[in-house]
Amino acid sequence: MPGRAQLLGVAVGVVALALVPVLAPPFYANLLVPFFAYAIALLGFNLLFGYTGLLSFGHAMYLGLGAYSAAIVAGVLGIRQFELVLVAAALAASLLALPIGFLCVRYTGIFFGMLTLAFGMLAHSFLFKFYHLTGGDSGMRVPRTRILGLPFDAYNKIELLAGPFYYYCLALLVVAGFTLWRIVHSPFGLHLRSLRDNPQKAEYLGVRVRQFRLAAYIISAAYGGIGGAILGFRIGLADPELVHWTHSGHLVFMTVLGGFNSFFGPIIGALALTLLQDQLQSITQYWRFVLGAMLAAIVIFFPRGLAGIATDFARLYKAPKQPQVAQ
Amino acid sequence: MTAFANVVLGGIFHAAVLFLVAAGLQLVFGVQKIVNLACGSFYALGAYFGISLVNAALHTGVPAVLLLPILIIAGLLMALVGPPIERLLRSVYGRDESFQLLLTFALVLMFQDVLRFIWGANPQSLGSEVLVYGKLSWGDFTVPIYNLLVIAAALAAAGLIGLFLRRTTYGRLLRATAENRAMAEALGVNVRTVYASVFSLGTLLGTLGGALVVPTSAASLDMAIEFVIEAFAVVVIGGLGSMAGALVGALLVGLIRALSLVVYPEFEILAIYLIVIATLLLRPAGLFGKAAS
Amino acid sequence: MTPLLEAKGVSKYFGDFRALQDVSIAVNADEFVAVVGPNGAGKTTLVNLLTGLLSPSTGQVFFKGANIAGVGPIVLAKRGMARTFQLVQIFPQLTVAETIAAAVVSQQQKQWRLFSALSADLALHERVREIAGIFGLSGRLQNVARMLSQGEKKLLDVASAFALNPEVILLDEPTSGVSTTEKHVLMQTLIGAAKAAGVRAIILVEHDMDLVASYSQRIVALAEGKVLADLPPGPFFSDPHIIATVVGKRKSH
Repeated sequence: MPGRAQLLGVAVGVVALALVPVLAPPFYANLLVPFFAYAIALLGFNLLFGYTGLLSFGHAMYLGLGAYSAAIVAGVLGIRQFELVLVAAALAASLLALPIGFLCVRYTGIFFGMLTLAFGMLAHSFLFKFYHLTGGDSGMRVPRTRILGLPFDAYNKIELLAGPFYYYCLALLVVAGFTLWRIVHSPFGLHLRSLRDNPQKAEYLGVRVRQFRLAAYIISAAYGGIGGAILGFRIGLADPELVHWTHSGHLVFMTVLGGFNSFFGPIIGALALTLLQDQLQSITQYWRFVLGAMLAAIVIFFPRGLAGIATDFARLYKAPKQPQVAQ
Repeated sequence: MTAFANVVLGGIFHAAVLFLVAAGLQLVFGVQKIVNLACGSFYALGAYFGISLVNAALHTGVPAVLLLPILIIAGLLMALVGPPIERLLRSVYGRDESFQLLLTFALVLMFQDVLRFIWGANPQSLGSEVLVYGKLSWGDFTVPIYNLLVIAAALAAAGLIGLFLRRTTYGRLLRATAENRAMAEALGVNVRTVYASVFSLGTLLGTLGGALVVPTSAASLDMAIEFVIEAFAVVVIGGLGSMAGALVGALLVGLIRALSLVVYPEFEILAIYLIVIATLLLRPAGLFGKAAS
Repeated sequence: MTPLLEAKGVSKYFGDFRALQDVSIAVNADEFVAVVGPNGAGKTTLVNLLTGLLSPSTGQVFFKGANIAGVGPIVLAKRGMARTFQLVQIFPQLTVAETIAAAVVSQQQKQWRLFSALSADLALHERVREIAGIFGLSGRLQNVARMLSQGEKKLLDVASAFALNPEVILLDEPTSGVSTTEKHVLMQTLIGAAKAAGVRAIILVEHDMDLVASYSQRIVALAEGKVLADLPPGPFFSDPHIIATVVGKRKSH
């Protein structure tokens, strides 16, 4: 189970996040709702990347699917219950991930990346071109829904997002995080990490490499779908750009920024990028350049991301352990 | 019928430009094993600069008939960004491929704003200077001579690259390094120089492709992002690391796009992705590539 | 008594190249069989056939009476066969404990448990400690595999194979890269571990004839894809033709 330091960190983080709507203007709570969406999606993404070793450049497809599921369930079908939207999003993402993952996990490395990128762009062009079905580049509306069965009629959209929905998402993140923690620290998680490190040896130890990669892929897709549903609700719209390969690139960016070798890294990365992007956009119109330069710096100098920097820092304050013997 | 022929020729023109960029990608991947997501950015850079240079030249009285040479020069000049970028990429050579991919993605982001900064957010295009080359007519069907010149240039480039790789010593060095870097190093090949020159050549092909395309299409910020996908489709279908693959793949992608625009527009780009996926699943080595692990 | 592991009239062709021709080997319970032969004799191919990686071109391979042609390592691990490789294979980022635990998870069939906590599984930890103890890795349990010395990595590699509780274990040049003084220690550790773990048969691929002579009960010599001899050590080392072919023109050392 998590160490004391980690539990403390989580507690502090949750409390700090819970205080934002209370202490800061609604703008900030509103800004952080996408953070929750991305944090959940990235927890799943990193199961695939950091823990299983597969880098997908098409993962945004599942976020998009989550948003479109929200649009269909709440909009087209008129089922205005967010819990059902979430279930539909997770289910839709998992169902799509099954055949696509099945095809993709036969490969690793660059071929896996290219296949996932191709599927992602296939989804993008489908959403774009078949505008009779999908609304094309105007997208599909995601109407307001009830949360926990309550309509919150007294709140306008902003108040809802900065208030009840904010806490709802915080709770979702905690639940999603707890679930993923259990998965990662289970026998299943151990087998994932073993096949990441050495798939050949893992097979000789009886690890069903392909099946497990597929399982990780599906779980990561489900998390992506849930994140996408939150995004769709927040923006009020599901649109094809959610599915573009550059959006997938941003998912990878956030994960690497936060640190993909760490459980909390992706969450830190999502927070950092959400806040950073907002700040940058108000300072300069060339924020993409700054972000690009940051990503380059991370890749070259800080490959373990913010979490890595934090751990290194913490290590400076701890007593040095027994040096490892290496020959 | 003539409409069909025009479409096909349009497709071949597009294929010619695609080939140039894809050939650059293939070289870089074949020798350095790097997947360069910024190839689209080089393409856009060549396009924008091509327009600027042509406009500047025309303004100073240079005759419009020098359009093609000017564009070629524009492409060559922009290739100068290659060496410094390669220097940057050097810091991640030994590392996991994910990092290399991410660094080139970082470059894409940075380039987007560099292009925006220099040339603004609106698409740019040339006027009708290209008409100075006239058109070729054959009964009902016409093709701008410029397009034919570019197709010829691409074929010439293909031939030159092929000759270079097969007949010259340096070309053989490149192929050796592509085949087995460690071995090449052990045999005294200066891999660093090889990598630098290959990347520069790859960049050159990208910027040249972009410069050559501007008489017929606008330069836009989107170009950099969208072109990457097509270039990758070519590389996957043709086979990673293969020049012949770049040629055949470019032709296929160019023609499919052109034809589907006519037959079933909604299908246009979908068709290409489907073929990419099918290739990756059924024959991952592509048409000409070596099998990947 | 049915042999535990058996190849019957097996030939293997790679295109036109004949790697093995009409090879028959049987390994019974409680046997320690060594497979020797010069490089290129077909040892690796035979081992790959016996461990289900390849299918024979002709003939059959049986494990516990079932045909295992091309069945693959995952299935065989489940059925009770383990194998180590000449080049040490580790999980760089996993600790010693986690590496062994991965094998135990397979053996205890717990791999699809997504929500149970590894750290709370006492039965698992007991077993991991037990295996680590046999191989002298008890002090290294929390160390990350890539930080171990070469010798320790080898031990870990073998330990994880043993953690599968196999009935048959195939050791592919386990002492290569190990210093001469340590070779015997390693072999004795392996044999002791095998007994303790209830392994019923060991197959050893080796170049070191000294080890082969000291520990095996039977020696199978391959030359140019065919079985040259299948004898206990005494008769094996008394035959000058066998010595000349297998050991080569090297003077005795």
